[in-house]
Amino acid sequence: MIKRILVMSCALALPLAALADQPTVQVKPPELQGSRPLEKQTEAAVIRDYLQSWKSLRSAFDLNQPELLSPDFVGTAREKLAATIDQQAKLGIHTRYQDRTHDLQIVFYSPEGLSIQMIDNVGYDEQVLDHDKILATKRIETRYVVVLTPSDVRWSVRIFQAAAK
Amino acid sequence: MLIGLALAAVSMAPAQSVHMSLPPSVTAGSAFSIPTAGSGKAVLYIVGQGQAIRRDVQMGEATMFPAGALYNAGEYLAILVNGASTESAGFYVSPAPQPETLGFLAKPSRLPVGIRGGISGAVYVFDTYHNLITTPLPVSLELANASGTMQSHTITTRNGVAWTTMDSAAKEGPAKFVARIAGVSSTRVIDQVPGDPCGLTITARPNNGKVTVQTAPVHDCSGNPIPDGTIVTFTETYNDQQSTVDVPIKQGIARVDMPAYPGAKISVASGVVAGNEIRWGGGK
Amino acid sequence: MNKGNLLALVLAAATVVLVAVGTVWPVKAAVFYAGGGKEGLLRPSSTPEEAVENLGTQIRLLAWEKAYESLSNKAEFTEPEFLHDLTGYALSLRTYATLDSFEVQPLHQSATDAEMRMKLRWSTVVGTFQDTRDLRVVKSGDHWAVDWPLVKEQHVPPQVIPVNYLRWDVIYRGAGDDWGSQDVEAPHVRIIDMHPVNRAEGVVVMGELLNEDVVPAFVSVRATLLAKNGSPLASEGSFDMISHTLLPKQVTPFVIRFPDVDLSQVGSIRMQPLSVLVSASADPVIEVQDQKFNPAPGASLTGQLSNQSGQVVNIAHVLSTFYDKNGQLVWVGGQYIDRALQPQTPVAFHIAIPEDLAKKITNQRTVVATYSSGSSL
Repeated sequence: MIKRILVMSCALALPLAALADQPTVQVKPPELQGSRPLEKQTEAAVIRDYLQSWKSLRSAFDLNQPELLSPDFVGTAREKLAATIDQQAKLGIHTRYQDRTHDLQIVFYSPEGLSIQMIDNVGYDEQVLDHDKILATKRIETRYVVVLTPSDVRWSVRIFQAAAK
Repeated sequence: MLIGLALAAVSMAPAQSVHMSLPPSVTAGSAFSIPTAGSGKAVLYIVGQGQAIRRDVQMGEATMFPAGALYNAGEYLAILVNGASTESAGFYVSPAPQPETLGFLAKPSRLPVGIRGGISGAVYVFDTYHNLITTPLPVSLELANASGTMQSHTITTRNGVAWTTMDSAAKEGPAKFVARIAGVSSTRVIDQVPGDPCGLTITARPNNGKVTVQTAPVHDCSGNPIPDGTIVTFTETYNDQQSTVDVPIKQGIARVDMPAYPGAKISVASGVVAGNEIRWGGGK
Repeated sequence: MNKGNLLALVLAAATVVLVAVGTVWPVKAAVFYAGGGKEGLLRPSSTPEEAVENLGTQIRLLAWEKAYESLSNKAEFTEPEFLHDLTGYALSLRTYATLDSFEVQPLHQSATDAEMRMKLRWSTVVGTFQDTRDLRVVKSGDHWAVDWPLVKEQHVPPQVIPVNYLRWDVIYRGAGDDWGSQDVEAPHVRIIDMHPVNRAEGVVVMGELLNEDVVPAFVSVRATLLAKNGSPLASEGSFDMISHTLLPKQVTPFVIRFPDVDLSQVGSIRMQPLSVLVSASADPVIEVQDQKFNPAPGASLTGQLSNQSGQVVNIAHVLSTFYDKNGQLVWVGGQYIDRALQPQTPVAFHIAIPEDLAKKITNQRTVVATYSSGSSL
């Protein structure tokens, strides 16, 4: 009974929390392998665009709308995430992600300037729902390897992969 | 605070369950099974950012996932729904260890000869399912010129990527830039082109009342012929007047017929490189 | 009857009256634009001025036959030759030009003949150009008729001009997101000179762009004026004041105009050269002959263009860069040539230079951008 109350509380509380809660972001100084220097403006733009991509991911997975992934995700990352959202929709489930903490560090800026790799030790809540019924809720701490590539006006996530901690 | 406590409580609940047991680790694309305990029918969900799968299960039996069923690396939740009760647990799917494709970023596709560190290559290593293989692997990067000379570096990947820089050769021509790992390779062609013209010189001779001006074969400072189509500008100055003409190099030289004015000065340039100047009618 | 109905009745009556007046006593211009009564714009050629004005009107109305018939020396050439004199023998800016206006100046007059100067201002897609003809007008009975000074096209004798036809073709990467796949590199271009000047009409940013690559480039330049606090004031492109197709090691001047901006407002200028790899041909070669700098008053650069290839150049755009004695850029000027460049046939050009800058000029460099039907600029 207590568990059911807690689950219901969470079901009500999570959407509000998603609106109210902004993730805590820590950025470590870049530890670059690569010959290309990273300008402060580039670093700031990459981090800004990456954090924005989590917002898109949250909306896309909650609403089962893969089109919300653009333009934050491109290439393989977009294809994989969009395929998962389609699978969710067919199964009648949706997922709420709420990123709580990001501990970011840029580790590679390719010499030709066409990719930036970042490690993100991220903490997030994942809640899987069958329509409105909560199937599971879990807090996950994991390490993401992220590769972003430049498009016309922004950096877009091209590789987005949780790696073993 | 309350939400956090609630989440913590809910998250702990599945951990106490004993109705399903997950493998300690799963490799992308490999077969695995999830045994269950108890009786009756239930539904098993495998949900992550990489895939979402549903299976009807008979409690007390193992649910089989054949090779290729779960292939995207990342964190997953396994959720067992048995009537009103659910239990869940997380597990990780790691990339397959065998490289299958390479993302090879080579730049530039064209550059002048003799540039130290002018060619760069970055290699991302992926498995069959396009998961980035983050375990360290040795990647060989080779730049082979048409003349047969080769530069070769072996670099170990870090977080799935390796990179290097190479020098462009002194002699023009295409070079093959190859990234290779465990039988998988990716090739790019780097076009090494001549640099600016060097020692640009012209000569002139009379031609039916005009003067034919032509360059000596145009080369860069390494002796590579400047490609046809490169523009050479001829300028003739006489009596406060001037004639100019932009001529493309054809078959190694640039040639033009200009008005023949005794005492005229004729000069040559290509881009920002100036050549010699001659005086028509008065010798060089 | 309320006020509204009364007003409606008055308006309807006024409309009927105005339509009737317009039909019975139409304005000449209105009749012309309605497609009729073109002759109403013409007057009897009872004076030399009227004869020239009538000819100008007929040319403006594209009434070639009537214009030709009115000439006193029409026996010396055919109507098609007269037409080609005005609209060009080959496809050129003249072909689609329309006569915007004309001006007649008497130079000399006697009882039986007169000399008149006719300035024809033609409108084209790249602006206007002026064609000045000095006409002899002769009295024939009770009217005057124009003796048209036909400019005959020089015909090149039949011959074969050998051309080592050099061109570059490009195969680009196809569509699709194959990240990491190689694509052809954009040509490397560099701004080698840049000079902003303050003019009455605003700031003019001039410079020179070099294609330092071994492949042809389609180029343009964009400039953004930044205020002293770094905020953008205005951003403009070079539009047509640049030779867009730049062959390897070729240099083009460029001009970017910022109307209504004063240089004192500008803290810095951000220049952005753009280049795209394009298919191009190394021909035709245009020689710029007999360039002569004419100092003020009426400062200008004059010269002739000679098409050294065997193909007709339909449109030529001459761009000249002017330098001071230290080699610093002073001004960039340009002129479209309204006639096609026939092979081996010199065509004159004239580029006006601002009087105040002319005294600084000691040297110049001229390039020619060309367009030939069936090829790219």
